[in-house]
Amino acid sequence: MRKLAQLLQQGEVSSTEIVQNYLDRIAQEEGRINAFITVDKEGALAEAAASDARRKQGEPLSPWDGIPIAVKDNICTLGVRTTCGSRMLENYVPPFDAAVVTLLKRAGLPILGKTNLDEFAMGSSTEYSAFKAVRNPHDESRVPGGSSGGSAAAVAVGEAPWALGTDTGGSIRQPAAFCGVVGLKPTYGRVSRYGLVALAPSLDQIGPIARNVGDAAVLFSLIAGPDSRDATSSSQASFRLQLEDEPFPKGLKIGVPEEYFGEGLSSEVRQAVENALSQLEALGAVLVPISLETNVYAIDTYLTIAAAEASSSLARYDGVRYGMRVEAHDTNTMFEKTRGRGFGSEVKRRIMLGTYVLSASHYEAYYEQAQRVRTLINQEVQRAFEEVDLVITPTTPTTAFRIGEKRNSLEMYLSDLYTAMANLTGIPALSMPCGLDSQGLPIGLQIMGSHFQENVVFQVAYWLENALKGGSLSNG
Amino acid sequence: MIERAEVMRIAKLARLELNEDEIAQYQEDLTRFLESGAKLRQVDVSEVEGTSHVIEIRHPLRKDEVRESLSQAAATAGGPHVVNGYFRVPQILEGQE
Repeated sequence: MRKLAQLLQQGEVSSTEIVQNYLDRIAQEEGRINAFITVDKEGALAEAAASDARRKQGEPLSPWDGIPIAVKDNICTLGVRTTCGSRMLENYVPPFDAAVVTLLKRAGLPILGKTNLDEFAMGSSTEYSAFKAVRNPHDESRVPGGSSGGSAAAVAVGEAPWALGTDTGGSIRQPAAFCGVVGLKPTYGRVSRYGLVALAPSLDQIGPIARNVGDAAVLFSLIAGPDSRDATSSSQASFRLQLEDEPFPKGLKIGVPEEYFGEGLSSEVRQAVENALSQLEALGAVLVPISLETNVYAIDTYLTIAAAEASSSLARYDGVRYGMRVEAHDTNTMFEKTRGRGFGSEVKRRIMLGTYVLSASHYEAYYEQAQRVRTLINQEVQRAFEEVDLVITPTTPTTAFRIGEKRNSLEMYLSDLYTAMANLTGIPALSMPCGLDSQGLPIGLQIMGSHFQENVVFQVAYWLENALKGGSLSNG
Repeated sequence: MIERAEVMRIAKLARLELNEDEIAQYQEDLTRFLESGAKLRQVDVSEVEGTSHVIEIRHPLRKDEVRESLSQAAATAGGPHVVNGYFRVPQILEGQE
């Protein structure tokens, strides 16, 4: 991206040319990938022309002015349809921009379009999009992961240089892993969710997806920051980072939790992650075996809390204020018919589950219990970070599975086995490629840090990326 | 197995119209979820409170001042049935036309 920014600055290339290039690529690839729900050709070209005019005046908004981006379709864009991958919002055009979209525009980034996702971001394969399933660019018979599968696939296939995704239980990191790109779920509170269509507000974060660690760090610096319109936004949210080539801090402690390398992990994924860990060790890191035994509860805790919050968040789709309506003679029937037909099967499943665990007779045994187990998970993770600087694990137990392979919803939920913990605890977690399996499918490695430690996460990811490329980093 | 009547009750609470196939499906799914989550309910949590915020959050306060906001027309534009800037819904009181 730095190269592209340099070319723009030197006048070697215009934003219009870059945007047209990506639009051509989209036209060429969309037939097989399905990464976009809406391509905003006119809007992107108009923004590119405005960017070129600013360059001519010598007044670019940022070094990245004119470099386009794709945005997941659950993030509101003024005047551009935002569907959440649902029939319910098929024709919804927001009257405002999400905070992150305003920030992208302030930096001068033209928006190429809105990327495909599992309906209301519920899913791990992007097969639950109400419109079309996204295909993995590395193997079209396989899923790109989800729910930010459209953003990850678009970046992987070169339809966009970078993209925004959202992550509630792994929805940025798991598709980044499956598509061979870099994705970050930031610390809770670091990126404003104003204008993000809520799924589970105590877990949701918006984050960057890019082709390499450096680009992801740049994009993250553009979207991080406090915002009074999001009550969970932190005053420490801002992020600036100059990635350093050296030196690697000797003695940096990396925790390796045994629970993430156990049953269910594919041997090829394990091998690739272990290889990356030895590379870090060779650079001077100290690998510390740790235990995160509460991770065995992470999926069920996550599912209970996410479903409960989703059932509440999605109560607003009632056929009155936005989206579709199925007419009926009385309001209750209108609500029921609208919601029954507007939502797809996975969304209804989670609303049912969430309503069940929140209902008076089950609240204590299920929801309250999950909230308390969440505390135990938090306590264990906090203890771990007193001992180590980072925790490294595989991002997913396997590489990309086949479209249609996971028919049972519980099986699907298990692909979040290694990612849900970061959402439950609010810590930052990044996925980056660390190799290919024997079928040529990308393998993802996850780096987790303690709250607001994205700088350390990115820096180590950057060193590792160089080491894996065979780069010659001194070990300082 | 969760009873069919329980599934119907939950669907009513959630304002979801379900067809026969869906009722059967969710009866099965809810049952399976509750079985798989059984180990969660055996965890001893007597010593801890529930977590609702994972980072320290101060409730943000601001001055109560008039600020720019969406116009009524823009705010209601997404509604499926809007008349003169109001959302129109089916009759909610009985006995009058």
